[in-house]
Amino acid sequence: MKRSVFGRLWPNATAVVLFVGFVFPVYWMFATAFKPTGDIITEDPVWFPYHATVSHFDKAVHADHFWTLVANSVIVTVSSVLISLVIALFASFALARMRFKGRRGLIVTFMLAQMAPWEVMIIAIYMLVRDNDMLDSLVPLTAFYAMMVLPLTILTLRGYVSAVPKELEESAMVDGCTRLQAFIKVIFPLLAPGLMATSLFGFITAWNEFPLVLILNKDIEKQTLPLWISQFQTAFGDDWGATMAASSLFALPILILFIFLQRKAVSGLTDGAVKG
Amino acid sequence: MKRKLAAAIVIAGMMVSVSACGGGDDDNSKDAGPDSWKGQTLTVWTMDGSVPEQWTKDVQAAFEKKTGAKVKFEVQKWDGIQQKVTTALSESNPPDVLEVGNTQTPAYAATGGLAELSDLKKEIGSDWTESVSKSSVYEDKQYAAPWYFANRVVIYNKAIWAKAGITDTPKTRDEFFKDLETIGKKTDAEPIYLPGQNWYFFDGLIIGQGADLVKKDGDKYVSNLADPKVTAAMEIYKKYASYSKAPKDKDEATPQQATIFAKGKTGAFIGMGWEAATAIQANKNIEKDLGYFTIPGATADKPEGVFLGGSNLAVAQNSKKQSLAKEFLKIALSDQFEGELSKLNGVIPNKESLESNLKGNGAAEAAAPGAAVGGTTPLIPEWAAVENTPNPIKAYMTAVLNGKAPADAAKDVESDINKRLAQKN
Amino acid sequence: MSVQTEGTDTAGEPAVRKSGPPAPPRGEARTAKTPAGRRAAAAPYLLLLPALAATVVLLGWPLVKNGILSFQNLNPRQLIQHLTEWNGVDNYKEILSGSDFWSVVGRSVVFTAVNVVLIMIGGTLIGLLLARLGKKMRLLLMVGLVLAWAMPVIAATTVYQWLFAQRFGVVNWVLDKLGWHSMADYNWFSSQFSTFFVVIVLIVWQSVPFVAINLYAATTTIPKELYEAAALDGAGAWKSFTSVTLPFLRPFLYATTFLEVIWVFKSFAQIFALNEGGPDHLTETLPIYAYVEGVGNQHFGVGAAISFLTILVLLAITSYYLRMVLKQEEDEL
Repeated sequence: MKRSVFGRLWPNATAVVLFVGFVFPVYWMFATAFKPTGDIITEDPVWFPYHATVSHFDKAVHADHFWTLVANSVIVTVSSVLISLVIALFASFALARMRFKGRRGLIVTFMLAQMAPWEVMIIAIYMLVRDNDMLDSLVPLTAFYAMMVLPLTILTLRGYVSAVPKELEESAMVDGCTRLQAFIKVIFPLLAPGLMATSLFGFITAWNEFPLVLILNKDIEKQTLPLWISQFQTAFGDDWGATMAASSLFALPILILFIFLQRKAVSGLTDGAVKG
Repeated sequence: MKRKLAAAIVIAGMMVSVSACGGGDDDNSKDAGPDSWKGQTLTVWTMDGSVPEQWTKDVQAAFEKKTGAKVKFEVQKWDGIQQKVTTALSESNPPDVLEVGNTQTPAYAATGGLAELSDLKKEIGSDWTESVSKSSVYEDKQYAAPWYFANRVVIYNKAIWAKAGITDTPKTRDEFFKDLETIGKKTDAEPIYLPGQNWYFFDGLIIGQGADLVKKDGDKYVSNLADPKVTAAMEIYKKYASYSKAPKDKDEATPQQATIFAKGKTGAFIGMGWEAATAIQANKNIEKDLGYFTIPGATADKPEGVFLGGSNLAVAQNSKKQSLAKEFLKIALSDQFEGELSKLNGVIPNKESLESNLKGNGAAEAAAPGAAVGGTTPLIPEWAAVENTPNPIKAYMTAVLNGKAPADAAKDVESDINKRLAQKN
Repeated sequence: MSVQTEGTDTAGEPAVRKSGPPAPPRGEARTAKTPAGRRAAAAPYLLLLPALAATVVLLGWPLVKNGILSFQNLNPRQLIQHLTEWNGVDNYKEILSGSDFWSVVGRSVVFTAVNVVLIMIGGTLIGLLLARLGKKMRLLLMVGLVLAWAMPVIAATTVYQWLFAQRFGVVNWVLDKLGWHSMADYNWFSSQFSTFFVVIVLIVWQSVPFVAINLYAATTTIPKELYEAAALDGAGAWKSFTSVTLPFLRPFLYATTFLEVIWVFKSFAQIFALNEGGPDHLTETLPIYAYVEGVGNQHFGVGAAISFLTILVLLAITSYYLRMVLKQEEDEL
């Protein structure tokens, strides 16, 4: 089939326009962060940071307790993602491969759990945590973040597990593997994309969360980065350079993670969703 | 083994339930007196920008010398502070001492979260200025100690005013408007930076008109925004705002108006004396051009009304270090440190006898005449809810500035205000 | 991605897929009937135990607590002194009799609908475009999509505030240069409509990549033979789209729409950080309304009641899809 010049041109042209539209806010964040203030507050935008400076980053990083917050964020995010992955792996295997009473009810339960509007329950959560004397701790925070991503993780992984041909597992068992060994040796490696996809989702959720940490942890030693960034504008006035530098630093780990994992994982969520 | 485990769980459970109801009175027994102070650490919450580092260090040293205990200052951001204080006061391990805005003190006192300080008042507060101590009294009991007070002044850029050919500061409101007009015409600077929601300035204008924000309707308080005097105050505000390009839906803190002023392209702004320091921090070169004057009133003999803002120091009811906390108050509020704070920050102290510390401080000298005719928001516990985000009075101001008739704008927010005033405690 | 495994799973059975939302695998382990017997029968429950325990403790408990609080008069005084004051259904009466609640519900539904429609249509079109592009252009567009998708919400809202800033915001500058001079100093957060506009642009920008990339991935799993068969039957481009592509993608589209409805409805940071539900409460959707009334006004009991009602509204909105899933899972066993 031969397409006309126009037929070949418009998809590419559209793609370029879309690319610019999607990338621009991200680009503008980084560009602003690197520009000296004189180039930020201008009547006509300076489109490229010709006089690049790291002074805004310097300012952002020297906020109080910056590295403590970084460490807390990393600890909470990584551990909540790992916990939810392990728990979800067990659950999704049962839901995908086994037949038992109550299965349907459980699937619907997890679908409902996925709808929980966490932000509006924070007073209830606050009172529970307070009355159990666990305020100013990373433990409840980690637990709740793990729970926030657990339902989607289960439903997604379930799709992945069921996509692994039954026969592979069976042939492994014929070869003398137990069911557990068969799972570890055969299914688990095939689940890698699914695990990456769901962990990305978990990373974003836990990395971003702020209403809960705001109310649970008043001690700055136990706070996380979103609080730092959300207080930026008031702290630095209309210093868009420092604000954008902070945003850039905050976004960078997630952006890197995405680019690193995207080939294997980007469509992972669909597979789960399709089978969800 | 199993039994041990069970016992551990039971004990753990008991500990949870005990600590969950912590802060009861019997906890205070542990804190009998000076002997138990050594080695303890007292936590004090102060608000962003309220105490200079020098003062903090001096007080820490004096406190440690006298009690053997340490004091940890934790600086709090204004954003969302009400929720933070409320939840903190409910905890078994709250900050021991906290700075509370004077107009919010009655509301916190009514919640039962603040310890009664009537004894302390007898001991050290006999000469506290009556007008500033008023806000810490609720149902005839003292629930906080007055700390420092301040009111707004005009902070202006001398260089810009000189460029516009203005030689003297205005003595009346009309003169002020004329000067702003001149700056607008003769320079490329913004005559004044006044965002639409600098609502404490608006409150000052209301006080200047002799009006109040609430009125009594039977035994309830209701909104008084529709009062013609309030409308007159808003018209003055609108006139001021007409000389500014500042956003109509933002307050003076977002962005910090001083940082805008610091860029040197703004003729003046209405702010607290300490905001000058913020401006200097943002741009050192601005220091030599800074000047202050009292916000002028309708006539030269009476300055504009101002909102007399300020802070009290309170002790959390749930604090387990009550006596140590009171000791801290005695030190922090002593003539030495109250005077030092007044001098360093240019704020009005809690005793008239200490006002000599303000001498030579341009901002404080400009503020003093205003303070004499200052007032506050209604000192009723119900009031605090009105100022919660989103503050309906700010919405009213933005609406009027955007062209809505004041009466209609007042009507729009009235039900919201009345609902908040009617909130049960 | 797992194209290969996916291929094995789906290639042979488009007929099954056509019939409705996705089918979990055939050939379930018939554990209960195998000789290994009873111990194996307990296995699924053991495997599910951690997930269930977490759900009960970390979600169920707060939900119950929230429900309990909604029947209490809970304000700062009660919170600070740990008092429990029951007030029956007063909170619900107060909310349901006021006019605010219903207008917020209406606004939330419209807000969700507008966003989801834009996201699904935009995402589908871009996904199909990805399938048509050459390798290099596809990679380029993918990178753009992934960057937008990966931006953390908080960073994204901050950037949008800067893009749409009244002074020195680049959007106003562009509009001004395009000849729309009244926009030079426009304040986007001054009215309900324009605030919603920014919020919607932000949410759509962030959500479209998920749909587009996944839809593209799903199209790559459509067996070529199906198109060949359609072509043999003389189907044109449009016909083969409606008879092959669309039916194949239907379960995907259902599931994605469901997810997007939930995500958009629950949007909190985007709206709250941009303008706190303002101006004049006019951009409050249910989650924001619950937060402002409950936490902001420290009217915690009322806030709890609103959040309970919020959950009911979300259930009502998604009930169609949930029923479908229930029915389909039933068919399988």
